[in-house]
Amino acid sequence: MRELGVGLVYWSDLAPLFEDVELVGVLELEPQTLWEKVVGPHGLCYRGNDALLQRVAQLPQAKLLHGVAQPVGGSADDPLEYIALWKRAVEVLDPAWVSEHLSFNRVRRGAHIEEAGFLLPPRQSPAGVANAVRNIERLSQALERPLAFETGVNYLQRRADELDDGTFFGAVAERAHCGILLDLHNLWCNERNGRQRVSEVLARLPLDQVWEIHLAGGMELDGFWLDAHSGLVPPEVVDLAAGIIPLLPNLGALIFEILPEHLPRIGVDAVHRQLDVLHALWRLRSSRRVVARDARAPQGLESCGLGNAEQHDDVEAWETALGEALRGRTVRDARFADLRDDPGVAVLHQLIGDARRSSLARVLRYTTTLLLIHLGPNEVRALLDAYFREQAPDPFTALEADYFARFLRSRAELVEHLPYLAETLAFEDALVRATVYGTATDLAWSTDPTALFAELENGRAPVGLPSVHSAMRVCAE
Amino acid sequence: MPSIDPQPLPPRGDRVRVYVTREVAFDLQKMTRVTQSILTKVGCGGCHSGRFLEFQMIEDYVINPKTLEPQEVVGAQL
Repeated sequence: MRELGVGLVYWSDLAPLFEDVELVGVLELEPQTLWEKVVGPHGLCYRGNDALLQRVAQLPQAKLLHGVAQPVGGSADDPLEYIALWKRAVEVLDPAWVSEHLSFNRVRRGAHIEEAGFLLPPRQSPAGVANAVRNIERLSQALERPLAFETGVNYLQRRADELDDGTFFGAVAERAHCGILLDLHNLWCNERNGRQRVSEVLARLPLDQVWEIHLAGGMELDGFWLDAHSGLVPPEVVDLAAGIIPLLPNLGALIFEILPEHLPRIGVDAVHRQLDVLHALWRLRSSRRVVARDARAPQGLESCGLGNAEQHDDVEAWETALGEALRGRTVRDARFADLRDDPGVAVLHQLIGDARRSSLARVLRYTTTLLLIHLGPNEVRALLDAYFREQAPDPFTALEADYFARFLRSRAELVEHLPYLAETLAFEDALVRATVYGTATDLAWSTDPTALFAELENGRAPVGLPSVHSAMRVCAE
Repeated sequence: MPSIDPQPLPPRGDRVRVYVTREVAFDLQKMTRVTQSILTKVGCGGCHSGRFLEFQMIEDYVINPKTLEPQEVVGAQL
């Protein structure tokens, strides 16, 4: 695999760091962060932002694409067409390889496919291996690029009926003849949270298939260490990288992941220093070829019976069961009924709730603030929980916001009685609806909206605002 | 609305416009900043497996309208 060097996941907030090509030699783009979900002539579809994609292409770094929305570990594919936008990103950025998560994020429910709202751990069984191999081959062929899967984080407890993490990753890599994106922070999270030791996972991987390493920092929640991309790489993870990098003959990229919202706390200088650490790690690559392919990878798989590999329902049953557990429903499949007692389910439930609440806070910022001011945090959380029970999540914030706006409007007693809530919600939802559906909305204001929003920006109840009546039209072009 | 001032909204200025009547009394630049801020957040978020904090940040910032004192900080578990 081509050697690209040290890099960083791209966010526009990190732009100053991408000016120094010696410091950041590789730009990894999560292509879906440039997409919207909108209504087209045939229903919902994805729409890419080609102008932004072209802007990214102009940056001097080598490019990689890392998917976050069409993972290869699940049985339910994205019901919306996504290959064309992926291919467009490949065409414009010309990555040496692409990567996706060995996870699932959709659950089949009757004739429908529901979004799970998070990248979830796949079924680690022979059938799960076969399913992942099919997905990897299909996506790689469609994109006409080599594909690497990311070794995922898994907050669930180890299970007696599953392959261990290293055996599962190794078997998928061996059978798909694909690359491995070795996320060492994910593996370290898994070990800290009670799963297999990182050293044991690494011992089961075909090391010559590791093309890329991800390094990141995290945070703690309820005794779990989270892969939150919220800080610098823990020293223990740096040590793990230093130990394994000399054994990776085909390592092509070493990528640091950090989310831009954590940058003000950490500082650009600290990220700069972190990248210096990655450069020191990069220099540990061995110049000699290492014979890393051996007979260790398939261990355990044979004992589970390759004859089970085509049992597709094993994968789907797992996804359904985990989906039920996470939505607080009864897990109907007795094989997985114990999921309800797994503390990892509670953590995932919390993280999915956080993600959904944050989506709403991001797009319906002023509506959310008004609700919090008038109702208080407990009542708002109860309201959001009621909405979550009724509506499956959507990873695209505009859709999530529109669904919640509909939910709120169905509670007329709430919307009509809280001061300024009706017009604030109408305005924010009008922007969303213009974006998603292309619809025009006429709005009426009873006060100066900028004065109203200024009060809300300060976290204060809008009291005593002057009566200023105006009309506004929000429309799509 | 016969009398309107268009408010283009980059970076998705080709998609959404907000029009207000000419005699409107509020600050149009401020309004444009508000709408831009919302419209840049309507897509798909990035990938990570940790906590998303936007809601907690707003929750922590809300001030009790009766006392004008900050509410008890909730959810900041970093």
